[in-house]
Amino acid sequence: MQVLRRALLLLALCAYTSFAAGPFVWAAMLSLRTTTEIHRNHFALPAPAHWAKFSEAWFNSNYGVYFANSTQIVVSAVLILTIAGSMAAHCLARYRFRFNRVIYFILFSTIIFPPQITIISLFQILVQYGLYNSKIGLTLVYVAIQLPLTIYILESFFARIPSDLFDAARIDGYSDWEIFWRVSLPIALPAVSTTVILNFILLWNEFLYAVVLITEEANRTLPLGIQRFIGDTQEDVGMIATGLMIAIIPVVVVYVFFSERLIQGMTAGAVK
Amino acid sequence: MAPASVDITRDSGLRKPWGTIAAFLLPALTVYVAFTAYPALRTIWNSFHKVLPRREEMIGLANYAELARDEIFWRAVGNTITWASMSPLIEVSVALVLALALYAKVPGARFFRVAWFTPVLMSYVVVGILWLWIYNYDWGPVNAGLRWLGLGAWTKAWLGDPKTALPSLIFVTSWMWVGFNMVVLLAALHSLPKEVIEAAELDNCGWGAKLAFVIFPMIRATLLNLIVLSFIGKMKIFDLVWITTKGNPLWATETVSTYVYKRAFEWTTFDLGYPSTIAAVWFVIVLAAVLGLTWLFRLKEKLEY
Repeated sequence: MQVLRRALLLLALCAYTSFAAGPFVWAAMLSLRTTTEIHRNHFALPAPAHWAKFSEAWFNSNYGVYFANSTQIVVSAVLILTIAGSMAAHCLARYRFRFNRVIYFILFSTIIFPPQITIISLFQILVQYGLYNSKIGLTLVYVAIQLPLTIYILESFFARIPSDLFDAARIDGYSDWEIFWRVSLPIALPAVSTTVILNFILLWNEFLYAVVLITEEANRTLPLGIQRFIGDTQEDVGMIATGLMIAIIPVVVVYVFFSERLIQGMTAGAVK
Repeated sequence: MAPASVDITRDSGLRKPWGTIAAFLLPALTVYVAFTAYPALRTIWNSFHKVLPRREEMIGLANYAELARDEIFWRAVGNTITWASMSPLIEVSVALVLALALYAKVPGARFFRVAWFTPVLMSYVVVGILWLWIYNYDWGPVNAGLRWLGLGAWTKAWLGDPKTALPSLIFVTSWMWVGFNMVVLLAALHSLPKEVIEAAELDNCGWGAKLAFVIFPMIRATLLNLIVLSFIGKMKIFDLVWITTKGNPLWATETVSTYVYKRAFEWTTFDLGYPSTIAAVWFVIVLAAVLGLTWLFRLKEKLEY
C-alpha cells in the first residue's frame, strides 16, 4: 500500500515535470528542424539535426547584432547596478543618520510602482536628452528599474554583518571607502553575486522598456529582435524556434552553473 | 594607536560623516531622481495637460473626465483585476500541493525543484511565442491532444475566442509562476521547527489536521507574501499579452498596460496626456490595492491571535 502510494505520487510528479519543461523540450526539437519537416509532423524527433540553422539565424536574421546589443546593455547595467546599489545599501545599513529610513522606504516602495507611471515621461525625457533610441539611454533606465530590488536585497545582508568588524577595521586605520571596498563587499559577496545573477536574468528578458525606448534596428535587444522576427516570418516556425533557443541559451548556461544561487535570488524577499 | 581611537569616538559619536554618506548615496540617488522620481512626477503633471509633440496645453481635469467614460479602459481594468485576483489563488494553491509532495521526501526532489523552476527564467516573449504555438488551432499540442483523445469537438482557437482568450493567458502565467511559488513554499516548509511537527505526529495528528492546524498557520506569512507578490506582478502584465494577442479579440485580453501603450504610441492621436492620466489613475488603484491587501492580512492576523 505504502509502495503503491509512493509510486503514484512519483508518477504525478513526473507528469507535472513534463508539463513544466515540455514546451522547452519541444521548442528545442523544433529549433533543429526545418519548417518543411515541422509541417510534415510537429512532434517528431530532430533527425537529422540541422545545426546549420543556428549560424543561419545568427548571420542572416541579425541575431548576432541583437545578441551583442543585449550583452552590452545588460552587462553595463548590471555593473553600474552592482556598484551604485551596494554603495547605497552599505551606506543605509552602516551609517545611522536622520532620513536614513525615509530614503530606504522611498527607494524600496518603488518596487510596487506599475511601469506605466514612468514610461511615458521617460520617453519624453530621453528624447529631450538625446538618449532616445540609444543603448546608453536604455542602460540607464535599466539601472533605475532594478535599483530598488538590488538595494533591498543587499541592505538586508549588509545590516547583518557584525559592526565589531567595522570598528576593528577603523582602528586599523581604514578609511570609509576602504571599509566598504575591502571589508563589506568581500563579506557580502554571496548576496552581491545573487543580485548580479538576478539582475542579469531579469534585464536579459526585459521587453516593455525596450519596446518603448528603442526603435532602431541597429540598437534592438534580443526580445525586440525576436518580436520583429515573428512579424517578418510569421509562418517560419523552424527559424523562430532557432531564434528562441539563441535567446534562451545564455539563461540556461547561467542556470546550469548557478541554479541554487539563482533560485535564491529570484525568491529573495518572498520568504519573510 | 592612541590618536586613532580618539578619532573613532569622534567619528561615530559626535560628528556625522555627512560628506561620506552623501558620496555613498549619490550615484544611486542620481539615477533614482533622474529616471524614476522625475518621470513619475512628470507623468502626473502630464495627466492634466494635452501633450502634443510640439506644444503642451493645460486642460485641467478633462482627461480624467474622459477616462471615466472610456469603456475600453474599464474593460482593461476589469481584465487586469480578474487576472491579478485569479492568478495568486491558482498559483499558490497548486504550488502548495507540489511543495507538500516534495516535502514528503520523494526521491529526486532536487531534480524536480530545478526542473519546475525553469519556466520563470524565460522571458514573456519566449513564453508567449511558445504558447501561441501550443494554442495553435491546426497543429498546437492542445488541439492535437484533444483530437487524439477523440474530443475533436472541443478543439478551438483558444486565443481567438473572446470567451477563452483571457482564461488561456491566465493559464500561461500560472504555468510560468507555479514553480517559483513552489520553491519559496518548500524553503518555508524546510525552515519549520522539526519538533513541532514531530509533536503533532506523537499526538496522532493525521495529515489533514497536521496541515490545517500545524503547518498552515506557520507558513501563513509566506503564503500571504506570495499572494501579494503575484498580485503585483499581474497588475503590471504587458509582454505576454503584447506578444500573443495584443489585447484582441474584442478587448477580451486588453490589460491596462497594453491600453496605455496603445494610446501613447500606437493610436495616431499623438497625445501623451491622456495615457498619462490612465497611468496616474492606475498607479493610485495599484497602490490602494496593495496597501488594502497588506492591511487586510494584518487585520486578520490580529483577530486570530
